[in-house]
Amino acid sequence: MCAVKRDFLQIEGLSKSDLTALLERAEANLPIAEGRAPRKELLAGRVIANLFLEDSTRTRCSFETAVHRLGGQVFNLTSAGSSASKGEGLIDTALNVEAMGVAAIVIRTSISGGPAMVAKRVRIPVINAGDGRHEHPTQGLLDMVTLRESLGSLEGRRIAIVGDIANSRVAHSALQGLTTMGSEVLLVGPPTLLSAHQIVHDGTGHVSITHDLDAIIDEIDAIMLLRIQSERGAGSGIASDYRTLFGLTPERASRLKPHAVVLHPGPVNRGIEIDDSVADEHGGVRILRQVTHGVAARMAVLEALLAH
Amino acid sequence: MFLPPLPSRPVSEAPPILVRGGRVIDPLRGFDAVGDVLLRGERVERISATPLPTTGLRVIDADGCLVCPGLIDPHVHLREPGGERKETIRTGSEAAIAGGFSMVACMPNTQPALDLPSLVDFVRLKAAEAGLARVRVVAAATVGREGERLAPMGAMARAGAVAFSDDGDGIASAMVMRRVLATCRSIDRPFLQHCQEATLTHEAVMNEGPLAAKLGLGGWPAVAEEIMFERDVRLNASIGCRYHAQHLSSAGSVEILRRAKAAGQPVSGEASPHHLLLTDAACDGWNTIAKVNPPLRTGADAEALRKAVVDGTIEVLATDHAPHTASEKGRDFSAAPFGCIGLESAVGMYGLALVKSGLMDWTSVIERMTVGPARLLGLLEAGFGRLFEGGPADVSVIDPDAAWKVEASNFRSRSRNSPFDGWTAHGRPVAVITQGRAFDLRTEWWRGAGAP
Repeated sequence: MCAVKRDFLQIEGLSKSDLTALLERAEANLPIAEGRAPRKELLAGRVIANLFLEDSTRTRCSFETAVHRLGGQVFNLTSAGSSASKGEGLIDTALNVEAMGVAAIVIRTSISGGPAMVAKRVRIPVINAGDGRHEHPTQGLLDMVTLRESLGSLEGRRIAIVGDIANSRVAHSALQGLTTMGSEVLLVGPPTLLSAHQIVHDGTGHVSITHDLDAIIDEIDAIMLLRIQSERGAGSGIASDYRTLFGLTPERASRLKPHAVVLHPGPVNRGIEIDDSVADEHGGVRILRQVTHGVAARMAVLEALLAH
Repeated sequence: MFLPPLPSRPVSEAPPILVRGGRVIDPLRGFDAVGDVLLRGERVERISATPLPTTGLRVIDADGCLVCPGLIDPHVHLREPGGERKETIRTGSEAAIAGGFSMVACMPNTQPALDLPSLVDFVRLKAAEAGLARVRVVAAATVGREGERLAPMGAMARAGAVAFSDDGDGIASAMVMRRVLATCRSIDRPFLQHCQEATLTHEAVMNEGPLAAKLGLGGWPAVAEEIMFERDVRLNASIGCRYHAQHLSSAGSVEILRRAKAAGQPVSGEASPHHLLLTDAACDGWNTIAKVNPPLRTGADAEALRKAVVDGTIEVLATDHAPHTASEKGRDFSAAPFGCIGLESAVGMYGLALVKSGLMDWTSVIERMTVGPARLLGLLEAGFGRLFEGGPADVSVIDPDAAWKVEASNFRSRSRNSPFDGWTAHGRPVAVITQGRAFDLRTEWWRGAGAP
């Protein structure tokens, strides 16, 4: 049997058992991610390349930490706006990095499909760390780890994703993952940032759309707030009443079910997606817990691709 | 600009050409009979139901084939000047011959744009030098195709421009559009619009829909095409210019065309092989070969377009042959250029979409590849798009039942960006006669070293 190179490019297409295995692996990594258990040596002597061609601090540091926790080394190539951020340059850069003998390439890019394009050209595993408006699959995993920790199971849970659905790779990965795991997803946002196309491509029938957050706020088990992505040109679709209609204000937070949790991929636009007092004081907020889970989830992906 | 002298080809000294034993079709006058066609120089000398003597003639065997007026593609991009890495007037007109066309009309979105009489001359001279398919020029309506100042349209018409278009972009300003339509009307030339309301297509690279949402790509909604088409129909109502909507992609556009024609407006529309046969599903996996403008849409849109071709609402078939290099198409989906090539697969793809599917007969398909384009470009009176004694000796010969595999690697075009590579086509061009030359596409010299 010939060895097939494996990549981690998207949540779409992963089965429930694939996802469950990754989530369980991530959960098992938690003591290491939290610094309570010694690191693994899986990646000892191996180098991972972080190609971050779009601004990101949190995700890049999370991948770096995950590699260190697995005993590997990592180097960063960050060049937002350079020629490497365009398609041809991206492939060239990846080929050069591969030629340096790295074990895997982690790619963050503004190009939807960029990591998939690179994966076809290199022989080493490629991990998508967020591509344009397509997917952010490791974010999807860490969101699910956080939800499982708080809610026990994802099966049958009602999860609202609120905000700029149309432009959000975070939303796309979460939508794919949660529906596969049996959750019911409510997409909430202004019509300018949310179209019926998002449901159609899901196909599970467990997704619905509403433009009225107040109508569903007391029915949900979790609310995932999205960052308003004004840098992607979505700004023009956002009216000044975004907070009034879709912000997690103290009034709305008080109507959440007692066990409901609040997620946000960060960085948070305080006073827009979520008010200061909610972010700082509401017992259901799991934003920093997500960050911890990010390290565990990225370790799980690296292990799954490089455990040989 | 230095141009070598035109090659002197003593047409009269070449042997007359006999196209023997085919089914001769002239859609305009409903002629359809088996026979021989004798071409002498640049004229059709005889169409005969009884076999003609072959002595001293160059014989093209058309047994079992359709012998029809030379096919005309009114929408191709030859890329010269400025885009010679993708295509040249020579390679493009050679691709036209290989695809069974005797004439093409090239679009002005070159670099520089074809917006001066001298540039119209340049294309005509280059085409004459190549001596392959006839090339007619569609010139830019505005300076630099910028949609602001009118280009010297009258002077370009005198230099030979058969139509005007800013293809690649729609003319955004309603005021400029009105001036263009009025000017075209006054110089008796059609205007060919690329319908795209740009404020709706910012960062748009494929059909707006579930797949674009899934792939994370900007969506190009059908309404962006339709509202410009609708606007132009209104603008033109009091002007009456011959107005032609290029590469229609949506069911809504078909409805607009149908209504405008019913209202008696001088409006026409065209359909391309890719819009008849493909949907946006072809873009999955960020497949840049399927990135075209306007984008591939839904199955319902493709079906509406096929129906419109069948019922005659769409009278013109055009490939929108748009060559791009492998490295350009190798960019990521958003950065790769729009367009696919079509000349060398066109006959077989129309055959697949319209004839093999049982929707039409070949005569009607050929009508939309001959009469329709010739009427659009104002060339019907000169005898193009027709086949009759005394008419121009432009003839295409098609094997209507040939099933053959499209292999882009064998194309004469300089580019390879065909969405139909590997497809099985239905119907194959086997010979083209134009400008006094006969190209038998079945012979080794043609398939081998290149046209003499």
